[in-house]
Amino acid sequence: MIRIFPSFRFTSLLSAAKPFCSVACSSSPAREPPPNLPYPEVKSITVSKTPKTPLFLRTPSHVTPLSEVWKWHDWAKDLASSVESSSTKSNDSLESVTLLRELKWLIEDTIVDDPLSILHKKEIEDDDKKKSVKLRASLEELYDLWKQRIENRRPFQYVVGCEHWRDLVLCVEEGVLIPRPETELIVDMVEELVSRDDWFKKGIWADLGTGSGAIAIGVAKVLGSRGKVVATDLSPVAIVVASHNVQRYSLEGMIEVREGSWFEPLKGLEGKLVGIVSNPPYIPSDDIPGLQAEVGRHEPKLALDGGIDGTDSLIHLCHGASRMLKRGGFFIFETNGEKQSKMIVDYMTNDLKHCFSDLKIVSDFAGIDRFVTGFRR
Amino acid sequence: MSSFIIRRSRGKSLLLWKTHGFKITSSFSPSSDSVSASGFSSFLTRSFKTTSSGNISQKFGDFGYPENGFVSMTRRLFSSDAVAVPATCDGLTVERIIASQWPILDENESDWKSHAAAIAQSIQVIKRRLQWKKLLVRLKVLSAELNKNDLWDDPLHADKISREHGSLMGKMKGVVTFERELLEHIDMLKLTKEENDSELESETLMALMDMRRVSKEKELAALLSAENDQCSCFIEVQAGVGGTESNDWAAMVMEMYKSWAQRHNYSVTVVDEMPGEMAGIKRATIKVNGEYAYGYAKAEVGTHRLVRISPFDSGKRRHTSFAAVAVTPILGDGSTRVQINESDLRIERFRSGGAGGQHANTTDSAVRITHIPTNITATCQNERSQHMNKASAMAVLQSRLDQLEMARQTAMNAQHTQSLTENSWGNQIRSYVLQPYRLVKDLRTNYEVSDPDSVLEGDLDGFILSFLSYSLDKGDTEH
Repeated sequence: MIRIFPSFRFTSLLSAAKPFCSVACSSSPAREPPPNLPYPEVKSITVSKTPKTPLFLRTPSHVTPLSEVWKWHDWAKDLASSVESSSTKSNDSLESVTLLRELKWLIEDTIVDDPLSILHKKEIEDDDKKKSVKLRASLEELYDLWKQRIENRRPFQYVVGCEHWRDLVLCVEEGVLIPRPETELIVDMVEELVSRDDWFKKGIWADLGTGSGAIAIGVAKVLGSRGKVVATDLSPVAIVVASHNVQRYSLEGMIEVREGSWFEPLKGLEGKLVGIVSNPPYIPSDDIPGLQAEVGRHEPKLALDGGIDGTDSLIHLCHGASRMLKRGGFFIFETNGEKQSKMIVDYMTNDLKHCFSDLKIVSDFAGIDRFVTGFRR
Repeated sequence: MSSFIIRRSRGKSLLLWKTHGFKITSSFSPSSDSVSASGFSSFLTRSFKTTSSGNISQKFGDFGYPENGFVSMTRRLFSSDAVAVPATCDGLTVERIIASQWPILDENESDWKSHAAAIAQSIQVIKRRLQWKKLLVRLKVLSAELNKNDLWDDPLHADKISREHGSLMGKMKGVVTFERELLEHIDMLKLTKEENDSELESETLMALMDMRRVSKEKELAALLSAENDQCSCFIEVQAGVGGTESNDWAAMVMEMYKSWAQRHNYSVTVVDEMPGEMAGIKRATIKVNGEYAYGYAKAEVGTHRLVRISPFDSGKRRHTSFAAVAVTPILGDGSTRVQINESDLRIERFRSGGAGGQHANTTDSAVRITHIPTNITATCQNERSQHMNKASAMAVLQSRLDQLEMARQTAMNAQHTQSLTENSWGNQIRSYVLQPYRLVKDLRTNYEVSDPDSVLEGDLDGFILSFLSYSLDKGDTEH
C-alpha cells in the first residue's frame, strides 16, 4: 500500500521552506533545508527547523503613523470588497464578507493598541492623525500579506501564522494542514466519552497524523492531568509545529510528539492504547486537482491525498486500531463523508470481523456523515 | 404664622451655632433625623412623634437646642396621618420647585435655583420609583393597624405588620429627610443673604452642589433598580422590509448603539451580522458588556422609524424605513436561568454545499443553534473558531430563553402585563426624521431632539432616561 508520495512530500516541504516573510524569521532564524536536495527516504531527513512565529506573537517593533495604517486599511478593504464583482460566481471564489472579517482579525493580530481605534476612524480627531501605532509587522509586509491572501489565495491562517481552533490558538505554517472546524467535534466526542467513563482518562491515547497537533492538544486538555497522548506524523514540519504548539500550552508532560508513519513510532504499545483519534488524508486522488485554491495550491498534499478512493490511510488505520487498542478502547476517524464512512464501517464489520463493536457514523454540523467511531471488542 | 416665626428664629440659631464653631452639617443632623409625624408646621408635635425621639432629644440636649423644652412625652408612637410635606419658611416645597421649572444649568454654575431644581427632579423620580402615593396610603393603613389595642393578640401578624411598617417607614424617612435637607439649604441660603454672610453662603452652595451629585446617583439607582438592570445585554437590530434603504437604516441604528455603548465605556462585541446585498445589514446582534447595560438598553426595545430622502434612490424620493430592536439581559450565574437540554438543540453550520472537511479551507465557521421546543434560534459567525461561535451563539440563545421565561412569569403577574406588551418588539417607539425637517421624537414619552446627528452618534441618554422615568410614572399612576 502506498501511503507516501515522495513528489508530494517534496513539494510540500518546498513550500514550507519558502520564507514566510523577511521579518518573521528575524527573531528566530530558521535553518531551511536546501531546496534542491532530494530526499531519498523519510528517516534520513534531519530538519533542525524552528517554527515560524505567528503574527500575533511577534514583537510590536514597527512604529507606524496612524494615517499610513488607515491608508493601508482602506486599500485592503477596497481590495476585499472588489473580489466578488471580478470573479465569476463559482464554488471556488472569495467572498467579500469573509475577507472583511479576516481583515479585522489581521488587524487584531497586528496592532497592539485598541484595534477599534483603527476601525472607527470617523471618531478620531485631527490631531490623532499625527499619532503612531505599534505594529507587529511593517506596513510593507502587511501590503504584501494581504495581496498574497487575495491574489495568491494564500490561506488566511498561513498569512497570520495561526488558526483559532476550539478555544486554542494554534501556530500553523505551510507544510502543515490547517485544522478544520469539523475536526473540533472529535475533541467534543472524546470529552463526552471521558466524562462518562474515567477509565479513558488514565490510559494512553494516540493522535495519528497530528499535523499542527490540534487534536492531540484538544484531547489532552479534556483528559485532565492523568492523561497521556502520543502524537505521530510523517512530516518533519508537522513534528516541529506540533511540538511547538504542545509547548505553547505547556503540555509536554502529557503529549509526546513522535516522527514517523502512522503506527510505526508506537512500537511496544500494541494492545495498550485506550483511544485512537485521527484526521487522515481522505480526499480521492482524482479530486485533488479540483480543490479550492487555498487548499490545492497551499496545503500539503501529504495531509490531503487519500489514494484512489481516498481510503488508503483509513483502511490502514482500521488495521492498526485492531492491533493497538486495548479491549474496550475507543477510536474516531474523520472521513470524506457519507460514502467513505459507510465503506469504513462495512470494512470493519466484514473484513475485521469481531474486532470492533458499537460502530457509529457521526455527522458534522453541516449534516455530512463525517466521523466513524467505535470500540475495540 | 407662629410657626413661621419659630422657624425663623431656629434658622438664626443655626447661624449662631455656626459662628460658635459648630459644623453646619452637624447642626442639621438633629432635624434631619426627625421625621414629622403629624405636620411640619407644628413644632410642638414635630420631632418626638417618631420612634427616634429619645435620641433626638438627647442630641438637642447636647446642642443646647432652644426648642428642647418643647419635647415632651407622647403615648402615640405611630401616627395615622403620616407625613406632612416639608417646606421652607416661605412655603417652598419640592413640588413647587418643580412647578417653577427653573432652568437646570451645568453643575459648575453656582446658581442655587438650578441645583435645587435638579435635586427636586431627582427626588421626584425617586418618589415615583417608590410609588410614593401608594406607599403613603399603605403606611397609613399599617399605622392604623399598629395602633389597634388588640394588635399583639396575634403576635405573628403583629410582627409582620410592624416589620413592613418599619421598612416602609425607613424608605419614606429617607426621602423626606432628603427633601428637608434641600429645603433647609434653601432656607439657609436666604438667611445668609440677609445676613450678608458670604462665607456661609458659599459653603451652603457647596453643600447644595454635593447634594445634587448625590441625588443624581440616587435617581439613577432608582431608575435602574429592576431585577436584571445591572446585567450586560445583547442588542439585536433587524431591518424592516424595503431592501437596501432599510438595511442601511438598520446599520445606522446598530452604529448608534455601538457609539452609545462606547460613551458608557461598555465593551462591544459583534456576535452576529448578516450584511445586506448592497449596503447595511439585514440583522445584527452585539454583546454589550458592562454594569447596567441592560437597565439602560431595555428602553430601546421596539421599532425605530426613519424618514429621509434615500441616498439609494436615484429619484431622490422620500423613504420611510423601519428597524426593530430587541434587547435581552445576560443573567449572572447567580440568577435562575433556564436549563437547556442538549437534546433539545439542533446545531447547524452553514456552508454553500460542497464536501467540507479537508476539501474546504474557510475562516467562516458560523453556527446556528435552534432550540427545538421554542423554535428560538441564535447565530454567531464573528468568532475565529467554530467552538467559540457555538459558545457565543449558546450565550445568545440562553439570554433569549431567559427572557422568554421572564416574560412568561411577568405575564402571570398581571400587574406588569400592560407595560410588557407595550414594550415588546414590533411597537413603534421612536421616529427619526431627517427630511423635510429634522427631529427625533420618542413616541412613548414625547421627548424630542432637533439634532438627529447627535442622536445617531449615540447621544441617547436623554431618550433612555426620560423613558425610564416615564415608566415609573406609569407605575405610580396605575395604582
